[in-house]
Amino acid sequence: MANTWGYGAMTNHFGDVVENSKAIFMIGANSAVANPIGMKHFLQAKDRNNAKLIVIDPVYTKSAAKADHYLRIRTGTDVAFIYGLLHIIFKNGWEDEKFIESRVYGMEDIKAEAKKWTPEVTADVTGIPAEQIIQVATILAKTKPTTVVWALGITQHSTGTSNTRILPILQLVLGNMGKKGGGCNIIRGHDNVQGSTDMCCLADSLPGYYGLSDGSWKHFAQGWGVDYEWLKKRFYAKKWMNEKGFSLAKWWQGVLQEEKTYSSSPIRALWVQGTGITSMSQQVEIQKALNKLDLLVIAEPFVNEAAVLSDREDNIYILPVATQFENEGSVTATNRTSQWRTKVVDPLYESKTDHDVMFEFAKKFGFYDEFTRGMKMGIKDGEIKQVKNDFNFAEDASDEIARIVKTIGLGGWTAKRLKAHQENWHMFDPLTLKGRGAMKGEYYGLPWPSWDDKHPGSPILYDVDTPVNEGGMGFRNRFGLEHDGVSQLAEDSVTVKGSSIKGGYPEITSANIEKVLGIKLTDDEKQKIGKNWKTDYSGIIQEKCRIAGVAPYGNAKARVKVWTFPDPVPIHREPIHSPRTDLVKKHPTYGDQTNNFRVDVRFSSEQNAQDWAKDFPTMLVTMRVVNLSGAGMLERTSKYLSHITPEMFANIHPDLALNYGIRDGEDMWLHSPQGTKIKVKAHYNFSVTPDRISLPYNFAGVMQGVDLSHKYPEGTKPYATGESSNTITNYGFDIITQIPEFNAGLCRIEKA
Amino acid sequence: MSKNSLADLSLKMGRRTFLKLATIGASFGATSAFASSDSVRAATQEEIKNPFPGSKRVKTICSICSAGCGIVAEVHNGVWVRQDVAQDHPISEGSHCCKGIDQIDLVKSKQRIKHPMKKENGKWLRISWDQAIKEISEKMLKIRKENGPDASMFLGSAKFSLQEAFYFRKFAALWGTNNIDHVARI
Repeated sequence: MANTWGYGAMTNHFGDVVENSKAIFMIGANSAVANPIGMKHFLQAKDRNNAKLIVIDPVYTKSAAKADHYLRIRTGTDVAFIYGLLHIIFKNGWEDEKFIESRVYGMEDIKAEAKKWTPEVTADVTGIPAEQIIQVATILAKTKPTTVVWALGITQHSTGTSNTRILPILQLVLGNMGKKGGGCNIIRGHDNVQGSTDMCCLADSLPGYYGLSDGSWKHFAQGWGVDYEWLKKRFYAKKWMNEKGFSLAKWWQGVLQEEKTYSSSPIRALWVQGTGITSMSQQVEIQKALNKLDLLVIAEPFVNEAAVLSDREDNIYILPVATQFENEGSVTATNRTSQWRTKVVDPLYESKTDHDVMFEFAKKFGFYDEFTRGMKMGIKDGEIKQVKNDFNFAEDASDEIARIVKTIGLGGWTAKRLKAHQENWHMFDPLTLKGRGAMKGEYYGLPWPSWDDKHPGSPILYDVDTPVNEGGMGFRNRFGLEHDGVSQLAEDSVTVKGSSIKGGYPEITSANIEKVLGIKLTDDEKQKIGKNWKTDYSGIIQEKCRIAGVAPYGNAKARVKVWTFPDPVPIHREPIHSPRTDLVKKHPTYGDQTNNFRVDVRFSSEQNAQDWAKDFPTMLVTMRVVNLSGAGMLERTSKYLSHITPEMFANIHPDLALNYGIRDGEDMWLHSPQGTKIKVKAHYNFSVTPDRISLPYNFAGVMQGVDLSHKYPEGTKPYATGESSNTITNYGFDIITQIPEFNAGLCRIEKA
Repeated sequence: MSKNSLADLSLKMGRRTFLKLATIGASFGATSAFASSDSVRAATQEEIKNPFPGSKRVKTICSICSAGCGIVAEVHNGVWVRQDVAQDHPISEGSHCCKGIDQIDLVKSKQRIKHPMKKENGKWLRISWDQAIKEISEKMLKIRKENGPDASMFLGSAKFSLQEAFYFRKFAALWGTNNIDHVARI
């Protein structure tokens, strides 16, 4: 997404779907159970506007049960399916030519690829009947605007990056971007996945997606009020400051080093603060790594099953952490809206807040002053400097973020404004998010970008029919000014409403600001202005942009061709463990990968290691259940929520189960290509066809048939425990993001 | 001691003192007052309107999924006593899912970790924060000295507040590593 048009986030919002969408194209998402209040909005769109709900999923989900059209897709064939739709759209001339011409770069290559995907070819690969593909393509062409909705069913694949690119491409072809009722509405999982991702608790970037370049580190050193040279010396060597670290997906290879790693040191200590470790794939490898570590530190409100999975006898510490209701700060909803979460009660028992845990250890580690100094900084006379000697955590940290993180436009997210929005939530319209009364002119929660403290937030991204100062903008100029001699800026016909510049313009820098905006800077301004809009602490670039009605990040074209990726345009590649061995030759996965996030990754060598489909004939799909989320660590400690699914199970079609002599409710073993296995209850269910089974991923506490109950500290064992599906999710990782393959694997069934 | 005067007292006292006194009152009542016929007294008009006189309603946000639903938490003497839907919240408009409506139970769940612990010879031991911080930091610093900052891996959370997420990234940076991640990747 970010590689297509600048930002990787939900472009519109739920209220907008209710008010404006005429069709909802839901693929790889099951909002009815994962996100029921999101689903409520989709149902309202059906009721109020007769919006058509189209659900594409390998399993007949609870969302599918509400759909006007349900398409049962084979796992891991999303790219092929979308090309099948594009084939029909292009063939009939249903694409939005004007939109593509003026706002998109590289579409010829997509057209060429789509040519190959006739309805018959697509039907063979995806398992969706050709007539249904034609029917849905026709609906998309005739029903404007359509919104596209997806979640982890799209991203969690060895082809996750291609999947997340092909859906934006579909919307660009249809001209549904930057439109009310259109857009790409990616639904995030946890309450603050969007916020924690924006803050880049990530191995490949500093907060705000600044990356790890020297310029980014210098920007942060300045904002944090620490000496860049000191910061540099904190690393093993400067080189490691610019290199991506180990990822959540494969950190365990940093410990085990079974696959080749590239780091200054093996991993010896693991610090887990709020990540359910059983929600990661390769549980047996993770267990081995936990056993080999020298130190495991866990800081949580509930026992993280990392503590239970490990066989180690020493050097595990568990620290009690308060829930967010015993804490204060903001949380970013899936639509980029920020809401202040007011503290309800003081921390219970001996719990400390997450930030207090960090502060305590920062003191011991000898960097407490440097750690907290950013909260004492401020802008004075256009320069950033320390302005006070004390701090108040959540408020001053908010203001620090607002000062530093300009890339995604958090300049407007001061604590004062965020609190005012939350206190006055009744003053905002649910359909448009527009404020009323005292909140008039602002959108609820200031959905980013909110460029500065006067900006109202941007409810719909890339909307050129709305002035920048009221939340409008073009696509971001992120990929240079030209490629292969073609300008990457929007055409002259695409002028953002109210802008002083006609047509496209580049991102604003100190070098081009006078020319692009047609202004003259004073000598004082010239001296204070930062290098570009992303690092300008003086605020001069933003101020001049606001006056001109210009988005500081430019007005460019979206690109459907990413020339730096292994697949410049997305292409279909069979899952690493494919049930269609006959298609693997024609659509092979990538070659093996060297050093991504400091470790090698197997692709083709794994895919070709054996005829997987022969030995593991059943497709393995993971799914969500309404009463549990994530690793289930939270909800399984609730008596009534755990009661709904008291034990681990798999949905299996009776025809498949009976092939193995398995009756409804009996135990069965599921074996994975890695040689791992889990024992689960067979639930006869018709949501799955006899070629596939589906299982929830929210259980833990049983490992390959062994009950780990005795390993929970006394009084902390959840009401429901069970095998983790991630013990058998197959090996496989995305080639760019390294997200594991959770959703397109294989297994072998055996009666227990 | 009447129920009303207990409630009045509770406003003036800390929660723990109040609970202690309430226990004394109850045991006293069981042997004398409750033996008489007036064990059920008339509820006051105030109590009929609100069983938790003097409670406050705190507006806050659900911590389960990313929809961002509003929650109204009723707090009485420092205890979260009731959870209500937020009728006027622009995203949830009074609706809630089964997970969200259970947030009050999540906070008060019996399975919460109550104090720091460490495992020693296969047994979980209760330890103090001081001991935990001292031992962990010594071990972390020893590993850092021997193998450098990249010998540690930090896994953060999608349940952090925005401000804590920012600070966790800074925490890893100041430790000297990019070995930091959270569930956005999964």
